[in-house]
Amino acid sequence: MVTSIGTGKDVFWRNLLAGCCGISRVEAFSTEQFPVHCGAEVKDFAADAYLHRLQTREVGRASQLAIAAARLALQDAAISIAEMDLEQVGIAVGTTSGEPGQIESVDDLYVEERFGQISPSFIEMYPCSVLAAHIAAELELGGEVLTIPTACAAGNYAIAHASDVLRAGRAKIMLAGGADSFSRITYAGFSRLGAISPELCRPFDRGRKGMIPGEGSAMLVLERLSDARRRGARVYAEIAGYGLSCDAHHMTAAHPQGEGAARAMEIALRASGTLPEDVDYISAHGTGTPTNDRLETIAIKRVFNDHAYRVPISSIKSMLGHSMGAASAIEATACVLAITDGYVPGTINLENQDPECDLDFVPNQARHHKVDIAMNNAYAFGGNNSSIVFKRCEA
Amino acid sequence: MEHRVAVTGIGVISIYGDSPSMLFAALCDGHTGIHPVGSMPRNDCACHLSGQLTDFQPEKYLKGRPLRPLDRVSQLASSACGLALENSGWDAEDRSSVDLALMVGTMFAGMHTIGDFDRTAIVSGPASVSPMAFANTVISAAAGQTAIWHNMRGANSTLAMGSISGIAAVGHAADSIRRGTSEAALAGGVDEFSIESFCGFDRAGLLCKNSTEPERPIPFDQHRNGFALGEGAGFLALEELAYAGERGSTVLAEIKGYATAFDYSQGKDRELAVRTLARTMQAALERSGKTIHDIDFVSASANGSVPRDCYELMALASVFAERARDLPVTAIKCGIGEALAASGPLQLAVAIDILKTGRLPGIIGLAELPPSCPLQGIQAETRDIRARNGLINGVGLDGNCCSLVIGLPD
Repeated sequence: MVTSIGTGKDVFWRNLLAGCCGISRVEAFSTEQFPVHCGAEVKDFAADAYLHRLQTREVGRASQLAIAAARLALQDAAISIAEMDLEQVGIAVGTTSGEPGQIESVDDLYVEERFGQISPSFIEMYPCSVLAAHIAAELELGGEVLTIPTACAAGNYAIAHASDVLRAGRAKIMLAGGADSFSRITYAGFSRLGAISPELCRPFDRGRKGMIPGEGSAMLVLERLSDARRRGARVYAEIAGYGLSCDAHHMTAAHPQGEGAARAMEIALRASGTLPEDVDYISAHGTGTPTNDRLETIAIKRVFNDHAYRVPISSIKSMLGHSMGAASAIEATACVLAITDGYVPGTINLENQDPECDLDFVPNQARHHKVDIAMNNAYAFGGNNSSIVFKRCEA
Repeated sequence: MEHRVAVTGIGVISIYGDSPSMLFAALCDGHTGIHPVGSMPRNDCACHLSGQLTDFQPEKYLKGRPLRPLDRVSQLASSACGLALENSGWDAEDRSSVDLALMVGTMFAGMHTIGDFDRTAIVSGPASVSPMAFANTVISAAAGQTAIWHNMRGANSTLAMGSISGIAAVGHAADSIRRGTSEAALAGGVDEFSIESFCGFDRAGLLCKNSTEPERPIPFDQHRNGFALGEGAGFLALEELAYAGERGSTVLAEIKGYATAFDYSQGKDRELAVRTLARTMQAALERSGKTIHDIDFVSASANGSVPRDCYELMALASVFAERARDLPVTAIKCGIGEALAASGPLQLAVAIDILKTGRLPGIIGLAELPPSCPLQGIQAETRDIRARNGLINGVGLDGNCCSLVIGLPD
């Protein structure tokens, strides 16, 4: 994984448990015309270290982040590409914006009346499907190569679809996750909605002022359990089931009673054969906007009743900002690491908890806590809701 | 146990009109929909042809509520989905009791909306952008807007696999019904013609061009010189076969299997490109429990592209072996242009009419096959064939391939 608090699973997890904050002043573009100036960018990312077959200039930043995360994931899974049947390896990448930098360059030309100078490579570098295609081209993979652009829930969607591909026997190995690069289009949009916090990100806090746009990528290596056992792989966790739903209510506002979010959690519990009281940890969508955090609390209570007050819930967006399509893939990684490591990350900047958000949000400090079953929640524009249940895999 | 997947409705918005029968009739009659491109801010593009829609009127399909929140791509998707729902008899009451899943395939989604939004921010400052427009800048906006318009509360997915996104979305949704994840879904694809895509493709040298010869976006033709950019939307209502029976739906066809694969040379290595496409077709046949002898016709992806049409020819020749010579092949992009993610679902709509009527539309404008072309069933004339199963191909510009077997219920 490549995140604003570090690259590689171990650095990420150490910094996440330490409560490190990846939020700083935006460097990708000038924020002079904006009322806000913070972002959660990945600084000092050196794409050349990860691109061997493709050239850095041939692929946009989101692809570069995704390729880096994919290489790191394969390395962590101790999979050697040379030994794989490459036709049996596929990819599913979630994203919100694909490669926005490409259309931004075209827009710059357009307003300067130099539209005729569009780069001949624009049309090949822009469609969001390049995220999965570029990973496949870099790693020479020949299986199913899917990009799932379902906005801020995209990482979860990609993991869910990849698990389907494996269950249907259409691949031996799936790389699944999400990627997004820092984008002025996204920043302008959220800024216009008044959704960006002028300072830190404080999910579930009474003084929360919004989300912080971010970027990054996380990729997970998924295999059928029997295959993983056979090759003696380290198994972090099992994808026990998922639930997807749509509010069909409003493009940018969630359902006022958290109907769709609750339904996704219920479907995920049912699909995974899990009772609500058996869930040991919930990774919240927790963007830090006043509405999201309040409605998410309502939805969790609807599904978990009394257990809602006992289960630790955290928003790691307090540290990473909202890395868009990558966010739920990064959060999925946090869920599986919580299972293997016995710690749950905290929600930082939680000083005065909102009385309307009265659950255990693991304030400020990571906590030693045994997790056998974790649920990862993510929501998106269009009223898209997603929940995935991860379970410990006994040896 | 694997379920079987029925097609119980179709909705199309195409250059030929808003019904599968209009699309089919025009193709059978040999009327091309490709025409001189309309007004563009620049006229220095090498290509002057397109399959741009000439009279799409969203208010005909989307009634009773303001259309303004939907950008054109969302209007195209919502309109075609509405027609598919109507055709399959999924009325509002049914939709309140069943969580219908939606899978939208798209290559560019609202690229023009995204560009417009960004240009407004550049010219007038970020405070001047519209929040309503921002909602349409997410790539999944068409899926979200369609779900809201038609109250579809099931899994809401968007699939991006370049120009094969639409057919892959149908395959993927069919697979989730086959595995019992959902009982019913709407799946298809949408893409719009925009200045960004037209000029982008033109600059990349992919569109048919008027250099030494006239523009010839004719699939498989010896003198083809690129494709004409089209647009549209096509969606299929899919249901588990037994469930469709209980509901009393008309079963139009059965989706029997599909496969996708990726050519990691992205078209640069001819041998790998051909092998990948051949492997995709073979996998689709295997998953459908069919052999080459069960396939009565192929709806090719060919669009006039110089290298890719050739790859598809070679892959068809290799997969169909002794059957290749007389294999009936059609290629509807001769008439609609390369409608990107809408292409595959429109090919499926046409395939369903081929199954129904036994008529195979000819390839409009096809004058001369490449010398030594092993497939003699690629013809300009519409003709009658025996049609029980068809193989539908999607060959992406980026290395992604998809094949799907559709047929009359076994």
